[in-house]
Amino acid sequence: MAQNVRDVSTNEEVTSTRRVIAASSVGTLIEWYDFYIFGTLAKIISEQFFPKDNPTAALLATLATFAAGFVVRPFGALFFGRLGDLIGRKYTFLVTLVIMGGSTFAIGLVPGYKTIGFVAPAIVFFLRLLQGLALGGEYGGAATYVAEHSPAGKRGFWTSFIQTTATLGLFLALGVILIVRQSLGVETFSDWGWRIPFILSVFLVAISVFIRMRMSESPLFVKMKKEGKTSANPLAESFKQKGNLKMVLIALLGATAGQGVVWYTGQFYALSFLQNACNVEFVQSNFIISIALLIGTPFFIVFGSLSDKIGRKYIMMAGMLIAVIAYRPIYTIMYSDANLKNKVEIVEKKVVTVKNAVKGADSLITTVTTKAFTDGTTYKETVKAKFPVDPALKAALPKDKLKPETKKEVTLPQDLYYKMIGLVLIQVIFVTMVYGPIAAFLVEIFPTRIRYTSMSLPYHIGNGVFGGLVPLISTRLVEATRPGPGLPPADPLAGLWYPILIAGVSFVIGSLYISNKTNNMDVE
Amino acid sequence: MSAIKRIFGLVWALMGVGIVPLVIKQAMKEIAAKPSEENWIFWSIVIVVLMPIIAFSLITFGVFALKGEYDTLEDS
Repeated sequence: MAQNVRDVSTNEEVTSTRRVIAASSVGTLIEWYDFYIFGTLAKIISEQFFPKDNPTAALLATLATFAAGFVVRPFGALFFGRLGDLIGRKYTFLVTLVIMGGSTFAIGLVPGYKTIGFVAPAIVFFLRLLQGLALGGEYGGAATYVAEHSPAGKRGFWTSFIQTTATLGLFLALGVILIVRQSLGVETFSDWGWRIPFILSVFLVAISVFIRMRMSESPLFVKMKKEGKTSANPLAESFKQKGNLKMVLIALLGATAGQGVVWYTGQFYALSFLQNACNVEFVQSNFIISIALLIGTPFFIVFGSLSDKIGRKYIMMAGMLIAVIAYRPIYTIMYSDANLKNKVEIVEKKVVTVKNAVKGADSLITTVTTKAFTDGTTYKETVKAKFPVDPALKAALPKDKLKPETKKEVTLPQDLYYKMIGLVLIQVIFVTMVYGPIAAFLVEIFPTRIRYTSMSLPYHIGNGVFGGLVPLISTRLVEATRPGPGLPPADPLAGLWYPILIAGVSFVIGSLYISNKTNNMDVE
Repeated sequence: MSAIKRIFGLVWALMGVGIVPLVIKQAMKEIAAKPSEENWIFWSIVIVVLMPIIAFSLITFGVFALKGEYDTLEDS
């Protein structure tokens, strides 16, 4: 009888924990989805909202907006972290979800630069800042909430489900974009179809809010509040008391900074590298990343669970070290496999078509060249030259305005396509090693009364600032090796030095100073 | 182990101090060579956001390590 009662009680606990994990994870996944559709559609957004005269400036402007989204995350962490430690985890991360959903939906409705001028990028910039703030408050709340429901010895396993959400959110973003793009066609998607993934967010958020409304508050927080032990000033307690500040610093420098750059390199930078350095065709490059993410995602749970047995530190440090050593060789293979200079062209299969059209007062000449290679690779180059029909007007235009727009697309054969998936998958495994155990690690080094605030800040500085700036800094490092305008960069892999340096320093600090004895401890 | 942690503490603190003039010098050099909008945006983000975080955290962490604040952490 006693055994039966215990079994029923255990079953109820498992169901309750599963419900907590599911409700927290779905909301966090949607927040990541909201956040990443902006980054994934960076190129289209730059065309829609920033002056087109200078495409590099437009792209950099978007990247800056992208970075702004990341840079404000620590402020969101402080603001919502404080609220979460004062009024509770549940209501705080409910608010962040609503703010995120509302901003994403609104981005989908903002008229373009052509319609309302500079007000358009200003509104988009503001909404992006709101997204960053909301995300800054969300993750710490979800991780804390799940960890405070989890038993000691299983915290790595349970929180690893929250850790899958960032990757699954990116996967969902890529999937929705691909489906919408394929359904509407490239032209329509670039024109207005890109708004659909943003607008769709409002429905996802509504479902998630409904689920979260039915959840109860964290048991540890409720107990602490009943006992009157909540912190009166979580910010001051977290960052002015030496004992907590030194843990915040060790978490940032020894774990989250390295984790952040490994996360962004393995997922975002890999996609950007495939599309911009290797010129791999849009749909194929997105499939490469999506498949690698899908295969790699269960490893978050594998490494989260393993960290309950052997400790968080060893897994995270191993992930950083292997990433630092392996990045250059991996990217060298990726670049070499897509490089047309390493392939033999089947000259008789080369086709060149030229179309001349007049659009209003402009003449548009489109030259499409397709090439085939012996290994099965195909290459398509589209050059669009637009200039006024009137020769006098044409002569009056500056040279850079007459520069044709060139689009290069490399489609890889089956064997290289699978190889690319494998190479990206290896990087995703590094991501799962550094990211899978990190929520449990962060939760365990801070006390309940200031946990939401203390863990959110190093996480969002590491992941948001150090990691979020990977695209901007890496693009810059590659550009610095370009010998002149219009010439290819001397070192297309130069962008990797930033994540290698940050992850390297983080590895040394983490290995020296982080304790491996935090797993299985009681959080209180 | 504690001695290594303290010696490295000095390294982190010096790195934190050294990064400030290094970044500012590089920014001035690049902006002077090409005072474009892209250059301003990029270096503003680096100088206003990234550099202070790196410098402050490395210096504070280094000083703590040098003073032996991390000596007591077990199994590290």
